[in-house]
Amino acid sequence: MNEMNCGLCHSLMQGYMDSELETPVQERLAEHLGNCSECTQRLDEMKRLARAVKAHAPYYRAPMSLTESIRSSLQSPPASKTTTWKMLCNWGAPVLSAAVFAAALFLYAETPSSDDIWTDEAVSSHVRSLMAEHLMDIASSDKHTVKPWFTGKLDFSPPVYDFSAQGFPLLGGRLDYLQHQTAAALSYRHDKHIINTFVVPTTQADSGLQSQSKRGYNIVSWRQNHMRFIIVSDLDKQQLETLGQLTRKGL
Amino acid sequence: MRLSHTADMKRFDELLAPHMDAAYNLARWLTANESAAHDVVQESALKAFKFLHRFEGGNAKAWLLTIVRNESYNWLKASAGHRWVAIGEGIPEDDMALSHALTPEIDAIRTEDAALLQQALKALPPVFREVIVLKELEDMPYKDIAKVTDVPLGTVMSRLARARAMLKTEFMKLYRHE
Repeated sequence: MNEMNCGLCHSLMQGYMDSELETPVQERLAEHLGNCSECTQRLDEMKRLARAVKAHAPYYRAPMSLTESIRSSLQSPPASKTTTWKMLCNWGAPVLSAAVFAAALFLYAETPSSDDIWTDEAVSSHVRSLMAEHLMDIASSDKHTVKPWFTGKLDFSPPVYDFSAQGFPLLGGRLDYLQHQTAAALSYRHDKHIINTFVVPTTQADSGLQSQSKRGYNIVSWRQNHMRFIIVSDLDKQQLETLGQLTRKGL
Repeated sequence: MRLSHTADMKRFDELLAPHMDAAYNLARWLTANESAAHDVVQESALKAFKFLHRFEGGNAKAWLLTIVRNESYNWLKASAGHRWVAIGEGIPEDDMALSHALTPEIDAIRTEDAALLQQALKALPPVFREVIVLKELEDMPYKDIAKVTDVPLGTVMSRLARARAMLKTEFMKLYRHE
């Protein structure tokens, strides 16, 4: 190494104060600093500034909500979550505060779109059952005929009721498929309206009655006793809810 | 499939999760925007997770921060739209004149003034801001800063010299105006 001078000292000063220089260079610099008050003063300034940054510049820690949302998006297929995330951010990135963000993620996690997928398919299946004249595999208004028919065809036991007395006569039952899962479908009639009640097993917790409408059909759905119930018809909402309540109570 | 996913989660927890603070801090300083920092870290973590099988050991923190840095710059470029964004590229690295010329009396300055210091650091172009953040706040060695910022080791030192000199100038400027 060449003789140490102020110019060389300046160019190596950062490495010196960060202890990044090879030992011999470090030593030569120390030697120069011992004899040069100008360089020493400069080094002290730099050290002061570095200390001030360390002490006073904020260190932004990752919010809990962020770490949690990352973990939860990693645990499920990343593609759909990323899209949701992007939508969320594009929608209001500049104004979305941490709190709103956390709340949005929480709501998103709490209302899985899977419910939507189920009701969508139930509506399609209901429409199919009407068109294909394939409403019933077993035509009977007798629950004691319909229920045993399901046995052996399903790995769960759907409740079967006839509500003729309340204006909802049972027409029969059939096997259906929702989300690649075998489902029990029970057909009822009310006036001239056909009603399908779909039942599939679920691991999700029980939930209250929910009414919605899709493609002109009314839907009443809930979860109970590890089963998901979806009732679909063009019958009006209130009457469909009545059937929902009856089925719920019947259990 | 299930098993490898669980194994990946375990690796994520071991290798990446401990550096979420560092990732967020860098993204927050570079984007200067809270929700953007969220976005950047989320995207970076998903990318890191996706390519975790390619990570062959070494410094997981530097590896993650490299991704965070790239994502932050992408955000800066995108948010600037068609406007030119001063990332700091094109500024001669060997221009030491600035730091040589600077001998202001910093002794008199209340460097404990946190707000001014923060403002001064924010005013630096991103390539200089990031070396300060990585060195002073993350306490990373030069070789890791070189990895994250994708420059040779020597450049880290000259960039840091430049960044510290600029920070001092900026701080003095703000201090005098106060």
